[in-house]
Amino acid sequence: MASTHEQTTDQVLVEEKSSARIFTMNRPKQLNALSAAMVSRLLDLFLACAGDSSVKLIILKGKGRAFCAGGDVAAVVHDINQGNWKRGADYFRKEFTMNYVMATYSKPQVSILNGIVMGGGGGASIHGRFRIATENSLFAMPETALGLFPDVGASYFLSRLPGFFGEYAGLTGTRLDGPEMLACGLATHFVRSEKLQLLEAALVKADSSVPAVISSIIDEFSEIPDLKRNSAYHRLNIINKCFSRRTVEEIISALEREADEKKDDFITSTIQSLKKASPTSLKISLRSIREGRLQGIGNCLAREFRMVCHVLRGEISKDFVEGCRAILLDKDKNPKWDPSRLESISDEMVDRYFSKMNEDDWEELQLPVGSNLLPYAVAKL
Amino acid sequence: MEKFNFRTQVLIRHLQQTTATATAAAISRSPCLSYAPPETSEPPSPFDVSSMRKLMDGHNLVDRDWVFNLMIQSKLFNPKMRGGKVFVVPDYNQSMEQQREITMKRIQYLLDHGVFDGWLTGRGFESEMRKLALLEVIEIFDHSLAIKIGVHFFLWGGAIQFFGTKRHHDKWLSATENYLIKGCFSMTELGHGSNVRGIETVTTYDSKSGEFVINTPCESAQKYWIGGAANHATHTVVFSQLNVDGKNEGVHAFITQIRDADGNICPNIRIADCGHKIGLNGVDNGRIWFDNVRIPRENLLNSVADVSPDGKYLSAIKDPDQRFGAFMAPLTSGRVTIAASAVYSAKISLAIAIRYSLTRRAFSITPDSAEVLLLDYPSHQHRLLPLLAKTYAMSFAANHLKLLYVKRTPQLIKTLHVVSSSFKAILTWHNMRTLQECREACGGQGLKTENRIGQLKGEFDVQSTFEGDNNVLMQQVSKALLGEYLAAKKRNKPFKDLGLDHMNKSCPTIPLQLTASTVRSVQFQNDILCLRERDLLNHFAAQVSKYQAQGESKESAVIASYRLAEDLGRAFSDRAIFQTFVEAENNVTDVPLKNILSVLRSMYVLVTLDEDAAFLRYGYLTVENAETVRKEVANLCSEMRPHALALVTSFGIPDAFLSPIAFDWIAANSWSPEQD
Repeated sequence: MASTHEQTTDQVLVEEKSSARIFTMNRPKQLNALSAAMVSRLLDLFLACAGDSSVKLIILKGKGRAFCAGGDVAAVVHDINQGNWKRGADYFRKEFTMNYVMATYSKPQVSILNGIVMGGGGGASIHGRFRIATENSLFAMPETALGLFPDVGASYFLSRLPGFFGEYAGLTGTRLDGPEMLACGLATHFVRSEKLQLLEAALVKADSSVPAVISSIIDEFSEIPDLKRNSAYHRLNIINKCFSRRTVEEIISALEREADEKKDDFITSTIQSLKKASPTSLKISLRSIREGRLQGIGNCLAREFRMVCHVLRGEISKDFVEGCRAILLDKDKNPKWDPSRLESISDEMVDRYFSKMNEDDWEELQLPVGSNLLPYAVAKL
Repeated sequence: MEKFNFRTQVLIRHLQQTTATATAAAISRSPCLSYAPPETSEPPSPFDVSSMRKLMDGHNLVDRDWVFNLMIQSKLFNPKMRGGKVFVVPDYNQSMEQQREITMKRIQYLLDHGVFDGWLTGRGFESEMRKLALLEVIEIFDHSLAIKIGVHFFLWGGAIQFFGTKRHHDKWLSATENYLIKGCFSMTELGHGSNVRGIETVTTYDSKSGEFVINTPCESAQKYWIGGAANHATHTVVFSQLNVDGKNEGVHAFITQIRDADGNICPNIRIADCGHKIGLNGVDNGRIWFDNVRIPRENLLNSVADVSPDGKYLSAIKDPDQRFGAFMAPLTSGRVTIAASAVYSAKISLAIAIRYSLTRRAFSITPDSAEVLLLDYPSHQHRLLPLLAKTYAMSFAANHLKLLYVKRTPQLIKTLHVVSSSFKAILTWHNMRTLQECREACGGQGLKTENRIGQLKGEFDVQSTFEGDNNVLMQQVSKALLGEYLAAKKRNKPFKDLGLDHMNKSCPTIPLQLTASTVRSVQFQNDILCLRERDLLNHFAAQVSKYQAQGESKESAVIASYRLAEDLGRAFSDRAIFQTFVEAENNVTDVPLKNILSVLRSMYVLVTLDEDAAFLRYGYLTVENAETVRKEVANLCSEMRPHALALVTSFGIPDAFLSPIAFDWIAANSWSPEQD
């Protein structure tokens, strides 16, 4: 057990600098993918600091070229293949709890997104007050290509992006760079990576919990970068027009109508991403984002937890296992989705992902309440 | 330019974040009272809220959420940040002209996003239900928006659908669905509202030119309250007496253009504005005069009757009463949508008032104890929770009515007319009463427009008047019941329509000593509601026939028996609503849901027994039994209290469509340098 504990502590490095705590996710070879141990450790650290009056600020970053490439889905798929989907569910339970704690945290969390931010990495940062993008940032919620859906509270934060950009990002899994993250609101600031050390020192020196103070310090180091010429964010009009449609099928046909009108690489690649993704994932993701826009963070996570349990149990579709096999394990990039067509997925099938699990020992996600957590998530996007 | 805009947006966002959070942080260091969301303080719900929402909304949940999403994501719907949350609610501080223009823009936005697809060109159950669901969602945002849409699709579009024939359908339905033209519905006149048969507008057929000539012969014949007429409508369906060869054939409907495509008023049409109103100012109600306006013969909506080119009046329905009844059919759809939307308005106000009452405290019981939550006062529970139970009952009633309407058959037209009249009146009255109680329950906060409830009173007041005055509708209900009664007695046949079959059974008896468990049984509840209806119907029939025996006409006898008629109308409505509740409850298998539904049903019935003096007046309840009922209402209040939050959450009204006092009202009211 001692060795496990040691390994656990190694996976998150902790620095105490004055009233700031700097947590560094430290699994660089795995691009800091969140292992169960890391999630537990981060949750414990966040909860401990919430009640520790000597702590005023939390800085979260990643070692190496990634902030965090996501949850440790390989381990979860291993559990499922061992016939133990409930262990996988426990992982998500803990991860979503951590997301909730971050969303309702009363002290500022500054996440330094100097590299890959995907899936669970987004969940570990976007809910926090400050998200600093750099020229190295690479954000994506790629779950629909894995047979999953944008979880970790993404139905809350994606749905709060301008217009229907959240549907676009969540369904296609498109990659966004630092300037795009800032433009759409996923990031609150953009700071060149060479300034990060100075920024960190300044934040430590500030010795403050006041968001306005922190914000003005970051402002000193930040800039507003140009969006690249072919950025998706320039295409917000067409995104709004197509991704506001009622169903996935209607979104795709709206895109195809646009493509028929004139050749457009953006539209072509958007359609391609949608056609490659798991049809079941697309349908439940769209529903999740649409419901998420109408709910608070707590309800979003509780709903996503129901959904993820259905995905793991695999009664309705086994696309998650298949997607992970094709993309992460065998890497043949050729998943065989079942059902393979959008039309074969009925509304009733989609409904089931949102229903309570009928398993004896299954419990809904119970979120922590505490005097150190805010009673609700402040809108940050 | 785009880049410049984007930069400004980013900068503005940063600035706003900085200033807002700075002050918030400075003050939150010394909180006097702190806000705790009811979700964290209330016990977890034993029933699944999303299943309950499914039961309440009944149909098209994904479509509903889609339209909520469309509204939240557009600046046109006036999103405002309050206390860290976004609320979308119209700016009622805009002038009447501005409200009308923004309402039209919102319609255009919904149109562009395909919300109205299939509203007139679609056929069948699915598309009818979808249309009703989406209208309800739109109404949750703003009554004006829904009414403006309702007039265009349900009244103008409905008139074309129901009174028109293929030539009208081909020409107008698709054009209407796409807003190539904007329709309105000219029925009401200054001198005639509910009494449509008395309207004075006259249309004569000119066989020489093959045209109809529509005329407003006097000031009392001016068309009045015509939604859409003051600013936007290009076409109208005109209700008018039809004169052929000097003979009045009764009320008929004609299509007339009133504005050209550029919005200029057509020749021989005069239009004036109805002006500012106590609510619904986003609807441009106007007045119209027709100065011998000539329209082609084909513009008569001729499904019921036609005029041949040479001026012969032709109708398959020979009886003028029946012919008139056929013309009234589209008004049924109006009553259906009004009844349903009244329930949603009540839901909004209850969700706000109950959430507020779970976070706002007032007075301590002992000097050093904490102040008490409003909803922990039994008196506050008694103000809100019976209304909550009634709203559940009426939600089932509205769902029942919608199905009755969409699945209507010729045999069910009479039932539909009576049930829609009854439910429209009862549900809209219930809404107004609920709004007032909720407004007061929120104290001063209820007076702020941003908190919605007070404003809704003005916006929804019209519901007790339009599409049939509530009192007139209720008289029609008791008249229809009397008709059934007389027909059954005359032919010596059993009752079968309007849910009166209970009259065929022996008269139910109410135990002399009611117990708590008896009053909660479906059997007792059904018995006492049927007993009241049956007895009042017998009384009413007896009184009418007594007056007739004294030489009065049947009409005068009915008018003179108005008090019994009122009581009977209520009795029919309460019994019918109750039965829709039982029907919905019987379809539920989930035990926790069933349990709470049974509490709500008992509350609905018992509070009805407690409030309506008829039960004591006519002796259906003894004084002792009335006391038992009253005690049980109090018990049910305490039983409902722990579920209050889950019960209003189950209404499925997104946070953004409630109001700041439903959430962190301290944060929403905290000092900020930029007050707007």
